[in-house]
Amino acid sequence: MSLPPNLTPQDFKSDLKPIWCPGCGDFGVLQAICRALAAIGRPPHEIAFISGIGCSSRIPGYTAAYGFNSVHGRALPIAQGLKLARPELLVLVAGGDGDGFSIGGGHVPHAVRRNDDLTYIVMDNQIYGLTKGQLSPTSPQGLHTVTSGYGSLESPVNPLLYVLAYGAPFVAQGTPADMPGLTAMIEEAIRFPGFAFVNVRSPCVTYGEADQQIKIHKTVMRRLEDLDHDPGNRIQALEKAETYGQALLTGIFYRNPAPRPTLGAVVRERQQQLMAGAAPRDRILDMFVQH
Amino acid sequence: MRATRSIDFAALSLQDALDLAVLIEEEARDRYQEFADQMEIHHTPEAARFFRYMADNEEKHRSTLVARRRARFGDATPAVTRTMLFDVEAPDYDEARAFMTARAALETALRCEQKAEAFFAAALPQLGAADVRALFDELRREEIEHQALIRRQLADAPPDPLLGGDDFADEPVGQ
Amino acid sequence: MVEDLVIGMAGSGGDGIVSAGESLISACAAMGYHAMMTKSFGSQIRGGESSCRVRMATGAVRNPGGTLDVAVALNWEDFLKFGAELPVGDDTLVLYEAKTGVAPDALPLDGVTPAEAVAVPIADMARTATGSDKGKSSVVLGLLAGWCGIGRDAILAGIRKKFAKKDERLVEANEKAFALGVQYAEAHPLATPRTIEPAVAGEPRMLTDGNDICAAAAIFAGCDFFSGYPITPSTEVMQLFTREIWKYGGAVLQAEDEIAGIGAALGASFGGKKAMTATSGPGMSLKTEIMGLASIAELPLVVVDVQRGGPSTGMPTKPEQSDVFQAIFSAHGDVVRPVLAPTCVSDTFEVTVEAFNIAEQFQTPVVVLSDQEIAQRKEVIEVIDTARFQVVERQRPDAAELARYERFRLTANGVSPVSHPGMQGGNYVGAGIEHDEHGDPTANGRVHQRMNEKRLHKLDPLRERDDLLRIEGDPSAPLALVSWGSTAGVCREALDLATAQGLRVKLLVPYLLYPVNERVYRGFFATVQAGLVVEQSYLGQLYRVLRMMVDVPAGLESFCRSGANPFRPAEIVRELQLRAGKESR
Repeated sequence: MSLPPNLTPQDFKSDLKPIWCPGCGDFGVLQAICRALAAIGRPPHEIAFISGIGCSSRIPGYTAAYGFNSVHGRALPIAQGLKLARPELLVLVAGGDGDGFSIGGGHVPHAVRRNDDLTYIVMDNQIYGLTKGQLSPTSPQGLHTVTSGYGSLESPVNPLLYVLAYGAPFVAQGTPADMPGLTAMIEEAIRFPGFAFVNVRSPCVTYGEADQQIKIHKTVMRRLEDLDHDPGNRIQALEKAETYGQALLTGIFYRNPAPRPTLGAVVRERQQQLMAGAAPRDRILDMFVQH
Repeated sequence: MRATRSIDFAALSLQDALDLAVLIEEEARDRYQEFADQMEIHHTPEAARFFRYMADNEEKHRSTLVARRRARFGDATPAVTRTMLFDVEAPDYDEARAFMTARAALETALRCEQKAEAFFAAALPQLGAADVRALFDELRREEIEHQALIRRQLADAPPDPLLGGDDFADEPVGQ
Repeated sequence: MVEDLVIGMAGSGGDGIVSAGESLISACAAMGYHAMMTKSFGSQIRGGESSCRVRMATGAVRNPGGTLDVAVALNWEDFLKFGAELPVGDDTLVLYEAKTGVAPDALPLDGVTPAEAVAVPIADMARTATGSDKGKSSVVLGLLAGWCGIGRDAILAGIRKKFAKKDERLVEANEKAFALGVQYAEAHPLATPRTIEPAVAGEPRMLTDGNDICAAAAIFAGCDFFSGYPITPSTEVMQLFTREIWKYGGAVLQAEDEIAGIGAALGASFGGKKAMTATSGPGMSLKTEIMGLASIAELPLVVVDVQRGGPSTGMPTKPEQSDVFQAIFSAHGDVVRPVLAPTCVSDTFEVTVEAFNIAEQFQTPVVVLSDQEIAQRKEVIEVIDTARFQVVERQRPDAAELARYERFRLTANGVSPVSHPGMQGGNYVGAGIEHDEHGDPTANGRVHQRMNEKRLHKLDPLRERDDLLRIEGDPSAPLALVSWGSTAGVCREALDLATAQGLRVKLLVPYLLYPVNERVYRGFFATVQAGLVVEQSYLGQLYRVLRMMVDVPAGLESFCRSGANPFRPAEIVRELQLRAGKESR
């Protein structure tokens, strides 16, 4: 028996230097992901990391895994096609709040209901950083930005409720202000068999609000495990998720204790049922022949 | 292996303690290198140079510790891993800032030495073996020495200008 | 006796006139005729007016034909809604429901006097046979069997097959309706007989349509993944995949929207599997951004666009050839995207296989520009020998290359071996952002220039593929036709007609619309003094692309009009004659 290679977080980092602003929350997220991957121990070439567009979507390039830094909002469909085509891969999906809940928001419910074995990490900074500080779908109401000079008139999307409402079987929230907690939940999300969602409140150091920075997170965050929260209870999870925007709760909101089979599993079942006795590909036209 | 296995200080052997110390230095070295890279690509050379210097220091400490470990325990497989550590001596990511001055970089390093000292101090009462306690106490004292060193450098460092980099910088660039 | 018969029928959806056409074409296949059936509908989902044309012949059938030989009207209102799709002429035999109360010499045909008109009590016979006026379609089949000499057993077998799935009593009732139709025909001989020559039963034939054979071709070519979003008239492509692809260890995803449809397919291609999506014009608009991503990420992908009338929702059930600009040019940035077009059901197979081969060889998205007519018309065709076709696989890095792998390495031919997740040593980041040879993002102008050069020039060998354009007729002819897609089938017949009338004509059919093989066009145009580029779009889009890429002869004109106004061979010959006259003056 060969032992799995002893992988360290450094093995999952690429040589590419991040373009993120110094102090950006995404550095911690990258570190947490690399540590979680090292703990899981799959070699980098068996991992595919799919993202959209935004500061955070640059993240695949900073890992040693296969990556696809695609177009804005479409990471989830690409990841699902990849996972269906190559179920043996460990597939991570990442992006920002704009990518996931604005331009790509329509894909999230469908990824949830299909329930393939993906881990979706949203780096939620409540602002558009790459384009210089416009309102994002998770920006709080009243926020002054370059596109809401008099304050935002819209109430934000609640990412946690959004995915919980559609039946996501694993929902967590973390912050790079708590690296051990963030790393642990990312690892657990990856290990969860099914669609796992981690909302990381990853502050924008350049355009983010002063009260949304890591130092503040450290003082205001509350761990769900200290709040007598039962992650197996979806109703409790929904109640806790309601606090998004007011409090910063971290940890696992919901982990379905009896998860249904993944899409990949039911696809393989169907393939096995139908593969026996199929005509070879070069006889496919026989179905049209009239006798 | 979990990503966040915590350290059982009571059960720590001298070999484990040395390995842990090596890993702490390694983590700090890597982070200072990352910070130096960040400063370089953001055109903040003074801070970059200082972080590079810190990375070299941490590497020196690390190699000294590695030598001690080798001499005592050879190449025995370590029982502790880097996944047990989170930013013990390494600067937290949010310590980095665009347009950091040399002084701000020094202040970051000082906080890291204080953080490391606090780590060893907090661990001391939990430790079981006497030789491990002795090692941790030695390491704790070293961190205090490093703090003194950095304080001296801080005293020599020019004060931050009244106006910082942010006050002169161009607008950020949309991508 | 005739060798070629064009039958057109119309009624309300409830009459089952399209089912009758399907029974008829399946009988044609069984008897050894060549045949083609097109369907046309109103926009109602159920119970609207519906029609079909069946063209059957002892020789090859290349298009749905022109003026009807036999017209069947179950009611005039519905029949007339199809206008030019069911043209009645001086030679047409018109069979119509007696209950319409229209006198044979007073048909509402706007000045046309058909050769013969027969009012038939179709509904009455149906009522006698089935107890209701349902079953008219079987009566019509009986009439056609009787009057046109089409094999009764073969039609009956089709009827049995169709209704046996439902109920044995239905089979009996329809058999009876069919028999009544036959008896009526026998009892009322025609003044202008329409009997077709018996077919030579021999080799088995295939019966299918453009969408089904497109999906089957993809599976043959090694496609393992399909994802798409339902859209008329392309949906049947996805439907066949949902039945078949699992059997080959593949998967299909009905996506939440058009963008996800192409996105998932691109994801599968990134994973090293051959993948496809299919759509129509509105879906193409939505897929455009990800087609650009496939171009810059250099990933193989086949995108089938079954064209319909546009713009916007346009005419979902009608054919048009107005997506040429979109297929070729709907990209931001400097992109060359290969576009192929089949001309009939049979060559949809080879075009689709070719699309996969080109996509794999050059690591590029390829558009298959089908259209509603080819996609949804049924044809009886010769059995295709799949052994004639090669299947190409994308070039993978070998061990030496993987030792120091650069995904976008600048090679002599611009094609860089492509790894996929799971391949050790091949790790890279695919990206829509400009990147260097390693795949790292860049905003460097020189790298951008070099990468554009790589992505565009790797397609150069495609422009040399003379086999993707076909020239028919007299090679030194002064008159020319250029046509593509379903319209090419009409031009092929026009070419024969014109040649028979003594005109010196040749025809160029490009299967590869883009990039343009300038050399083949230049050679073809060298002898041409006048000619027509025939296509079904208001703008004449291929004509305009050719004007952009090639020096066309001054006498080459666009002959085009909007979709749902099918061309007929005779009118193309008339147009050619006009040009020939001009040319000789």
